[in-house]
Amino acid sequence: MGGLNLIQLLNGLTFASLLFIVASGFTLIFGLLRIVNLAHGALYLFGGYIGYTVAGSTGNFFLGVLASMLCVALMGLLLDEGLLRFVRGFDLRQVLLTLGVAFVLNDLALVLWGGDTFSVPIPEMLRGATTIGGVFYPKYRIFVLLLGVAVFAALWLMLNRTRLGALIRAGVDDAEMVEAMGINIRRVFLATFMLGASLAGLGGVVGGAFLTLYPTADSEILVFSLAVVIIGGRGSLVGAAVGSLLVGLLNTIGQVMFPELAYFVIFGPMAAILAFRPLGLFGRAV
Amino acid sequence: MLEIKDVQSFYGEALVLNGVTMNVKPGEVVALLGRNGMGKTTLIRSIMCLAQPQVRAGSIKWNGEELLGLKPHGVAQRKIALVPQGRRLFPSLTVTEHLTMIKPTSVKEGWTAEKIFDMFPRLAERRSHRGNQLSGGERQMLAVGRALMIDPEVVLMDEPSEGLAPVMVQHLETIIAELGKTGLGILLVEQNLYSALAVCDRVYVMETGRIVHEASAAEVRTDHSSLMKYLVVQ
Ligand SMILES: Nc1ncnc2c1ncn2[C@@H]1O[C@H](COP(=O)(O)OP(=O)(O)OP(=O)(O)O)[C@@H](O)[C@H]1O
Ligand SMILES: [Mg+2]
Repeated sequence: MGGLNLIQLLNGLTFASLLFIVASGFTLIFGLLRIVNLAHGALYLFGGYIGYTVAGSTGNFFLGVLASMLCVALMGLLLDEGLLRFVRGFDLRQVLLTLGVAFVLNDLALVLWGGDTFSVPIPEMLRGATTIGGVFYPKYRIFVLLLGVAVFAALWLMLNRTRLGALIRAGVDDAEMVEAMGINIRRVFLATFMLGASLAGLGGVVGGAFLTLYPTADSEILVFSLAVVIIGGRGSLVGAAVGSLLVGLLNTIGQVMFPELAYFVIFGPMAAILAFRPLGLFGRAV
Repeated sequence: MLEIKDVQSFYGEALVLNGVTMNVKPGEVVALLGRNGMGKTTLIRSIMCLAQPQVRAGSIKWNGEELLGLKPHGVAQRKIALVPQGRRLFPSLTVTEHLTMIKPTSVKEGWTAEKIFDMFPRLAERRSHRGNQLSGGERQMLAVGRALMIDPEVVLMDEPSEGLAPVMVQHLETIIAELGKTGLGILLVEQNLYSALAVCDRVYVMETGRIVHEASAAEVRTDHSSLMKYLVVQ
């Protein structure tokens, strides 16, 4: 047992950054469509595998990212329009449906890519390490850190400075009233679902390069995302950021200081927060 | 012209509207009176085709076209606007966003945020406040402004005076009267007969899911004794 050193702190922050990318999509969908999309982890894994395949065959990491985001957004479209539309308004059925889809996608991934562990190839310019704060640290992880910040900024601007963003926030508040104001909320829902899914895809490629991809990676990231959203509050971008930081850092602290209690270090505080703020730190009743 | 005919609406198996027939002609201000729980909001929700209640019989025609079966946004796109009971503003949107979310700022035809602000200077001063930071009167003004942004031909106002101070109620009456003069049709749900009479052309009274009385405002002004048994004594 010992204190955290800078490298461990940076590891916690980069993990938090990845968590934010994945959980921000999760919380957008949860907040607006009221769907706990349990297939979000499977979309992450699929996105990772697609990125791995495309990046591997073209030799271009960013092409892998693009392909993954597009394909996973398309999978989001199919999931929402093809399946979820039949159970709209039934919360439990929606959740069970997404759970079923998660299992199917996981199996499909096993058929397509097998059970081996893969790692998405990192682009040349992000390989190696650099000095930061007097320590030697992988460039790629710094890239992940910055990417998380960039995704936060982009989402924040989209939500707070564009008309679509205003519609999404209004929909989180009161979807029925948005609809009564002449706006086809289904389109806003679908756009959000695809955006949220594509963020899972982005996370899959980015995370697949340093956490590697393997058949149970989907449920692991899903559990972490759930913790982030429960702590941060449904539908809140700032909540997702703060939740990611908490979970990312607690995860590192747990692994470093209390390895045998690593999960408890995350879920203990989560339970404590829920006891005092049932809607999460930034959640609001509707 | 809005024509409602023999409408029966249900919440689950509970019949709440039992054969409502009424109409609102173009540019007319029509009051719908009735005590608590008589079905006024249910009728408004039926016209907007909201998910609840379920309309199982009758027809609601707008300029000859059947509204039943449309989605609420389809109803609104046909220029029927809603000022819902309890305002239902969006807590996370600013005053300006309430207006611009409906119509992009680039569109200059019809109602714009600036025209709404000209009409309600109090809102202009609070344009960057959020929906839940406004006073009761400001909230109601914003709810009216938001409805106007769809450039309606008829506005359904569900108890807009509810919970407002008397001076605000008077202000609201002025606004409704002015809007009525611009040729806008208004269906005004009210519990207070005198407040309704100040602005309306015609009156319907609803009692347990039926229209039990219809009269012109002029008739009611000369003698409203026959109505009083259906209304709250103020
Ligand atoms: N969502 C609902 N589910 C079941 N019953 C409902 C629902 N909403 C309203 N009701 C019932 O329908 C009846 C009519 O309600 P409604 O809200 O239309 O009355 P109202 O005339 O608008 O009353 P108020 O003046 O208090 O607003 C009431 O008996 C009410 O209890
Ligand atoms: Mg009512």
